Amino acid sequence: MPIYEQTYRHYEGEMRRRFRWAIIVEQELRVLAKAKPFLMLLLVALLHCILRLLQVVAFDVVIQDPNNPLTPLLNQIQGIMVREQMFFDFLRIQTPLVFLIALYAGSGMICNDMNNNLMDVYFSKPIRWYDYVLGKVLSLTAVGLSITALPAIALVILHNLLAPSMKLLTESWFWPVSILAFSLVIVLPMALSIPAASALLRSQNYAAIVIVMIPVACSAMAGVLAAVLQDRNYLIISFPMAVNRIGQYLFHDRHLLFDSHWLWSMLFVGGTCLVCLWIIVHKVRRSEVAA
Amino acid sequence: MPVIEVKDVEVCYGDLKALNGVSCCIEGGTVGLLGPNGAGKSTLLKTLLGFNRASQGEVRVFDRLLPKEALAVRMQLGYMPEREVTSPKVSAVSFITYCGRLFGMSRVDAMERTHEVLNYVGLGEARYRKMETYSTGMLQRVKLAQALVHDPKLLLLDEPTNGLDPQGRIEMLELIREVAARRRVTIILSSHLLPDVQHVCDSLILIQGGVVARAGSISELTAVLDRCYEVRIRDNKENFVTGLSSAGFTWIDQQDGNLFITTPEQTDPKSIFEIAHQHSTQIRHYRPARHSLAEVFIQAAAKEE
Repeated sequence: MPIYEQTYRHYEGEMRRRFRWAIIVEQELRVLAKAKPFLMLLLVALLHCILRLLQVVAFDVVIQDPNNPLTPLLNQIQGIMVREQMFFDFLRIQTPLVFLIALYAGSGMICNDMNNNLMDVYFSKPIRWYDYVLGKVLSLTAVGLSITALPAIALVILHNLLAPSMKLLTESWFWPVSILAFSLVIVLPMALSIPAASALLRSQNYAAIVIVMIPVACSAMAGVLAAVLQDRNYLIISFPMAVNRIGQYLFHDRHLLFDSHWLWSMLFVGGTCLVCLWIIVHKVRRSEVAA
Repeated sequence: MPVIEVKDVEVCYGDLKALNGVSCCIEGGTVGLLGPNGAGKSTLLKTLLGFNRASQGEVRVFDRLLPKEALAVRMQLGYMPEREVTSPKVSAVSFITYCGRLFGMSRVDAMERTHEVLNYVGLGEARYRKMETYSTGMLQRVKLAQALVHDPKLLLLDEPTNGLDPQGRIEMLELIREVAARRRVTIILSSHLLPDVQHVCDSLILIQGGVVARAGSISELTAVLDRCYEVRIRDNKENFVTGLSSAGFTWIDQQDGNLFITTPEQTDPKSIFEIAHQHSTQIRHYRPARHSLAEVFIQAAAKEE
């Protein structure tokens, strides 16, 4: 005999009516957290964070202490200084990992829902297309920011806490803003383009291949144009270069590969994001509004 | 107040008119939406969900206008789509909980409710397995569970017995009957399988070519035919039917071995027994003949053509 009546009962609880996109974000993250390849990639990204953490600690605790016996040794290591440039490098190195993670998490995000006929089920619930789009895009954004902006800002805070004086605070107060802005420039195009490919193509593998090929193809084209026409400004056509140019502006890096104004790069990145968003909205909206 | 009110609705897919002036009113109960493939049944269901925008006419569910108030309507509505639905990488528990949460339930409530509905639809310990390992029958049960998780007042079921083996089909139909009988849930069952509709529904709407061809309660539509009887006899069939013909009866030998007998006007049907007695045969089955749903279906289709 069952311990309670296993029959149909009326539900008497309350229904929350707002922020349904947050439930989609939560579910996506929950499913991802159970995927081993995702966890492996996340672990690699975290290893880099740990190395940077050691760098910050070494710099603040050891190098800045003239009496420490390890100081002369550490001083010989190039790039150990914790400066604005270090955070730029950190984010640049994280970029391929963000790309791989987003590719793994996002390439099947929409097409699998469509192939498995889940759209009809989801939209028979009280959610609208924008809840769905927001949920999917924000889940990828959250994953991306969790290995870029989040650890980088935490490192800035740690750096300030370990610093011997308050002088550093006046020098570094805008670093978190630059970090967040550059992280968004890295993460948002991925969080939009990968679901867009997923919405456009009915196969997760094709979506992944297309997304890998686009930056490779545009970088190759940019390189060829720059070489043939002997004008480095054509490098802006390369999406990774355009993202890098914005980073150089945000982190005051003077080693510019081309002279075009950073706003052109911003326009390129922003335009790409808008096109991807339009594709997602168009495809998802059609699932909710069929005729 | 009717649960569903559809007035002169027209829905187009490009140039194709899938619904062409459909009007119907559903007060409650279990209603079968019957029609051949491509008649517009699924389109009507999707219009009730607010997926399709009517180019003409008005759709109201629970007195709320669609698609304007679609979200409020969907709060009270469960939908079981026709096509196979699966979320391969998660378990049924996780999937149904997620569906419950999309309705706005708290995580604890959604989890509790998930186990209740999965028990109810008869998905045992398999609920913890990933859905990619499920059979078609199990996926159908999950589809029904996701439609029931929030305790809807209206349930739209699109071909719920699709792909099920005979046993699974009977179990699914019994489950649907149970939902309809136990609680005040209005059920719209779309199917092209007449026995399914007859087994579960009190009334039906017959859709043909995007219009409502017939509508009414099943008992009305399958009313007793005047002066017609279904008779099965033991032996001496030839003598018996000769006797019938000479007494002015008309008869048709049906495929199932029964005789479909029409009595002449102002003749007592008891005379069938007298003729049987005269020809030394036994009547083993006798009942007034009714319209079958199949006939209603065929007549409506012929009328439309």
